[in-house]
This record gives sequence, structure tokens and C-alpha cells, in this order.
Amino acid sequence: MKPLLVIGLGNPLMGDDGIGWHIVARLAGDPRLPETVEVTSGGTDLLRHADQIEGRSRVVVIDAIQDAIEGNGQVGQISILDEDQLDERQQHAHHLSAVQAIGLLQLITPVRFTLLGISISSAAVANQLSPALAARMPAILDRVLQELMCTSSK
Amino acid sequence: MSTIVIEHLARVEGHGGITVELEGDTVGSVRFDVFEGARLLEPLVRGKRYDEIAPTLSRICSICSVAHTLTSLKATENAFEVRVSPQTDLLRELLYRGESIESHALHLFLLAVPDYLNYPSAIAMGADKPAAVLLGLRLKKLGNLIQETIGGRAIHPVNAVPGGFGKPPSVDQLIALRSALMQGMADSDAAIDLMASLPGADFCHSDTIYAALRSPNLDSYYAGDEVMAVSDGNRAIVRAADYKTLTNEKAMPHSHAKHSNFRGRPFMVGSLARLTVNPRRLTGRLAVAMKRLKLQLPADNPMDNNKAQALELINDVERALEIIEQLLRAGVREERPVPVHPRAATGTAITEAPRGLLIHSYTYDAEGRVVTADVITPTALNAASMELHFRCAVEQSVERDEAVISRRLQMIARAYDPCISCSVHLVRRR
Repeated sequence: MKPLLVIGLGNPLMGDDGIGWHIVARLAGDPRLPETVEVTSGGTDLLRHADQIEGRSRVVVIDAIQDAIEGNGQVGQISILDEDQLDERQQHAHHLSAVQAIGLLQLITPVRFTLLGISISSAAVANQLSPALAARMPAILDRVLQELMCTSSK
Repeated sequence: MSTIVIEHLARVEGHGGITVELEGDTVGSVRFDVFEGARLLEPLVRGKRYDEIAPTLSRICSICSVAHTLTSLKATENAFEVRVSPQTDLLRELLYRGESIESHALHLFLLAVPDYLNYPSAIAMGADKPAAVLLGLRLKKLGNLIQETIGGRAIHPVNAVPGGFGKPPSVDQLIALRSALMQGMADSDAAIDLMASLPGADFCHSDTIYAALRSPNLDSYYAGDEVMAVSDGNRAIVRAADYKTLTNEKAMPHSHAKHSNFRGRPFMVGSLARLTVNPRRLTGRLAVAMKRLKLQLPADNPMDNNKAQALELINDVERALEIIEQLLRAGVREERPVPVHPRAATGTAITEAPRGLLIHSYTYDAEGRVVTADVITPTALNAASMELHFRCAVEQSVERDEAVISRRLQMIARAYDPCISCSVHLVRRR
């Protein structure tokens, strides 16, 4: 069985939207990352990674959640989400949301997904994270690593 | 007065919506608000070196990362008068075909077909019709495989570089791709079967101007420097360097994207435009499939763009196979990229992204750093045409039920395969 795969979603040109991308970039060089965990940057299209996902029992997806934009969460807060906690309406005109992609991938492979959602406060054009989210990065990495260690040992 | 508002075309609230105002049976204002991130990203490349531009702008969109990479390289190479090798041209075209197969498969099977069959999503459709979803996923996987093999990774290709190509594919890799494409031939035929079985979607009919890259002697999404606009049997040619006469952009108060008009009229870009401008492609299996789909060109129904995408799936698979045969016959060589000598200059490139014409234009200083950059996406070019067709659909409908009209407008919007806010990726908590 292939090891646990971590896919960081997001666009680093759109400020805090790229948080998943920034996290996996940092994880890739972090000595604390368990040897049994693979990480990859997923851009904004989870379905494109179907080949990498097939044959695994477990995949962790890291993505931005817009609840801090809507005033419902604190910037940098990490939520571990099940599929039924996500809004299925979110649908692109020309590609699918992570939630829908997860549903489709489960039609072709019996993989379990965990979604680590990072609350963000903006998604505007910028090639770096907002100061508020950047300041939270060390704590976010600690928490993500803790979760990965726990998940990979199951 | 009543107002129909469709908000959820995109995941970013407030962007990508359609608003139609009705005064009895009279259609008032029709607005399509497209979030056009590409224009806002231009400051991010100002001052960057020529070899940093394509890797940066490829990130505008995950689905269209090849399109932005190749158009960016072509604009830079045009500025510095770099002519790449025939092998590089072939590899870039093959890469582009991979992206087109992937994008069309995703759009047709996972977004458009569920609309026709009244399913709220591809997942819901998959419960009843798993074969259709699996067919789409197989074709999408084929497109991904081509991009990964030729481009060097699944998204944001690393092998396409200024002046040439990084690591060319091995003979074994090309043979493996050829085998996968042979299966793709059968799958693209199955795509036509599925499209031919769908119920009709005649919501609006309108004379339409089509614009696409002109490649009369070459079946190419990448090569060529002229755009042809076709209207009522008349044809006009615009050179890439004169692209502003084609786009003729006008700022709209309700939209982040400027609207484009050709000689005062909206125009449509994308698969239907490509086949209309380059009808010589419609031979052999394509001609047979076109009859099965009952598609006539020039079309007056924007929903026919879905049929055109299905035809392009056949064309893309065949063209990819041709290129692989050419590469295998000639033998793939390790080539060093053509040296680039930066200078103060402007370069413009137009290519055919999966959803239509894509324009990149840069002005460089003497050291090869970007002074100004202009990126115009197919969705921005289509915005005015979409509004026109939304208006037609409402005006031509005897039905005034809001839910029926909303569904039709969403299907028309989807047929354009728009990229509204693809640069953002967020999830929402229920």
C-alpha cells in the first residue's frame, strides 16, 4: 500500500488562498515530517491528482476555508472536516470544487479523505500571505504535523 | 419589475453572477459579472526577468496552466525574435492537446452533461450513470498523462522553457502515450455517442461572430499569428500585434473584466469558433461525428459549443497520435534551447486555450525585465457575447417561470465553458 499522501491546494498568486500550497512547500523541507508521508502541491484541481491518489487508503487535503472571510472563524484556525460539513454548492463554472472532486474520486477508488481547512480572511491578488496568516504559520505547521503523525500511525 | 439573479456560477461570492431584469415581458438590463483575475495579476510580473514570467503566469489557472505557459513563452520569444526548433514546436503542440483533452473531458462529462440530464452534479449523475462519469474521468486522465509525460509534471509544466524544451520524452514514453491514445480513440467515439443521445437544448438563436486563431495549412492550437473573425459569411483577419483592434476593450461598471467587441459587435471564441474558422479540420471521423451530432456551421446556437468540444476530443486524440508518429519517425533528440538575447522590445502571442483565444503581450526593457504586461483570457473575450446570448434566451422564451429561465441561462453560461475565478480555490463550511 502506498504511503499517506498530503495534497496542498490553492493558488499562491491569490494571497491567503494559497495557504495549502505554502504549507506543503514548508512541510517538504521539514525534518519533522514522518518518512511515511508524501506531500505534493495540488494547484486548484484535485481531480488532476487521481493517479497519485489511486492505490492509497488515505489522503489528506489541505485547503483554505472562507469562514473567516464571512466572520465565522479566526484567521489561521485549523478545522478537520468531514465531507458532510462542506458546502456542496460550491461549484466552478469549469472545474470542480475539492468537495465534488473527493466525491468523484471515491467512485473510482476506495480512499478515505481528511480535509484540513485553514480559515482565511481574504483571497485577493498577492504573491504572499497576509501578515495575519503569515504570523500564524509556525503554529499552523505544528498543528498540521501533529495531525499527520496521528493520521499516518493509524 | 422582477429580477433574476444567479449567484453560484463561481465559488467566490459576488463574482461570476448573472442578473436579468424583467419589466413584464420586456427584458431590461442583462449583466454578467466576471471576476477576471488575470488582469489583476499583471503587476506581479512587472520588473521580473523574462525567464520568470511563464512559471509565474502559469499559476493563473490550474486547468489552463499549459495555455498560459505556452502563450507566455511565445510572446517572450516573439519579443526577442527567437525561433524554436521544429521538435520544440511539436512537443509544445502535443502538450497543448493534452490540456485540451483534459479540459474538454472535465467540462463535458462532469459539468455540461449533468445539466442536460437534469442532475445537480456529476456525483449525482454517477449514481445512475456511472459509465458516463467513468468515461469522462478516463479521458481526463489521458489528457493529464500527456501533460505529465511531456510537460514534466501534472500541473505547471517545467519542460517548456524560453527558446526550447527541457527534457524531451523517451521513445518508451512516446510508445506508452501512443497506446493510451489508441484507447482514447474509442473513448472519443463513445463521447460522440453520449452527446448524440442528449436531449436538445434550443434556448436561443442568434447570428454570432466567431473569432479564432487562423491556421489554414496546419491543425494547431499553438502556431499561427493571425486571428480570423467570421460573420455572416464575411471574414476579416487581425494580426497578433494588432490584437487591440480585435479586443477593443470597454470597461463595464458591473464587471471586473472589460468587454470586447469586434467592429462594435460581441464575438464568441472557443471550440465552435475554431471549427467555424478552420473548417478543413472537419474531415474523416470528425465529419461523420458532426453529422451524428446534427451540427451545422456556422451555428446560431451557443449550446453547440458543447458539440464542438466533443468533436475536438476526436481531433485532439488524432492530432496527438500524428505528432507522436512524427516524433518517433524523426527520432527525439536532446536539444539545447535556442539562446535568448534580451533587448528592449514588445512581443505578443495569441494561441487557442481550451476555451478560446488567449492573448499575452509584454514589453521588455533592455535587460529583459517586464515593463508592461497584458493578459486577455477567453472568458473576458466572451463576456459581451455571453450577455448577448443571455438576453436572446430570455427574449426568445415564451416561458416566464424564473426557475426555467435560470436553468437555461446557467446551461448557456456553462456551454461557454467560462473560467470565472479559477485562480481562487476555497471551500465553504456548510
